[in-house]
Amino acid sequence: MSIDPTIWPKLHGASTHFPVALAMAAALFDGLSVFGFVSPSLRARLRAAGYFTVILGALGTFPAVLSGLFMTKGNVLGHDATLFHHLFVWPAFACIVGLGTWRALVGERATPRGFAIYLAVLLVTAGLMAGAGYWGGELILNS
Amino acid sequence: MQPSVDQWSDARSPSSALAGGRDWLVDWLAKRALAVSVLAAMISLGGALLIARPIQFAMGVAGASATQAAQDAFATLVSTPQLVAEGAGFFGQSCGDCHGDDARGDEGPDLHGLAISNGRIAATIKHGVKGEMPSFARKYGDAQIAALVVYVRSLR
Repeated sequence: MSIDPTIWPKLHGASTHFPVALAMAAALFDGLSVFGFVSPSLRARLRAAGYFTVILGALGTFPAVLSGLFMTKGNVLGHDATLFHHLFVWPAFACIVGLGTWRALVGERATPRGFAIYLAVLLVTAGLMAGAGYWGGELILNS
Repeated sequence: MQPSVDQWSDARSPSSALAGGRDWLVDWLAKRALAVSVLAAMISLGGALLIARPIQFAMGVAGASATQAAQDAFATLVSTPQLVAEGAGFFGQSCGDCHGDDARGDEGPDLHGLAISNGRIAATIKHGVKGEMPSFARKYGDAQIAALVVYVRSLR
């Protein structure tokens, strides 16, 4: 039985947008929650949204990474646009898994300092995810 | 019914979510959240990089490298008037029927100003597009395909 060779690009395309969008949404929700004008009730809701989106985003990276590895036949760096894509992907993958794990374990017990550090790393991670998505788009259009 | 904010908070509280005998484990993990998170990130990243090896073997990395090397060779093509003329001849023989004699598109698409790499153009000529364009791998060798790529690239 032979597998359709286009299955991996299709699966990668189908799975990769979720973690990118969820990481950015988590950064948005948690980022908004620290502003002073936000009411306690809204803050709790934003933190809840940030909690679930970052965990789902972390979980969503696994199918995206796996399908990407199959798509590139195990090539973890490559060259040109692929190299740029991977230079963003690998740090973003490690960061989002770490952040998702930390958030799942700490829940609401985070100290203000701990949450501030978490938020800073989350913002960087969202940027890395966006970069990975941008160079992934370049691969489709210009390779 | 929508859960209240307090209920959301409760759901996110590890101790209430995993009440009972597992509390100590949750507390233990929560106290070491940073270390566990870093470990999880390292294991995930390391696992992904490690799994790349068997995937390379399973999917025939030698073939992939050969294909990549062939595509790289097309990336450095140098256009000469002679090569363009040669490519135009091949184009008239094999491509004009679908892409139009002026390559402005007919059944097939307009080929002017393509925003794809030489390697991709060559691969498309060689392997075709399933259900849309035939493969020319048997008809043309790499030298002829290179001439076709140079010709198509010259279309502005």
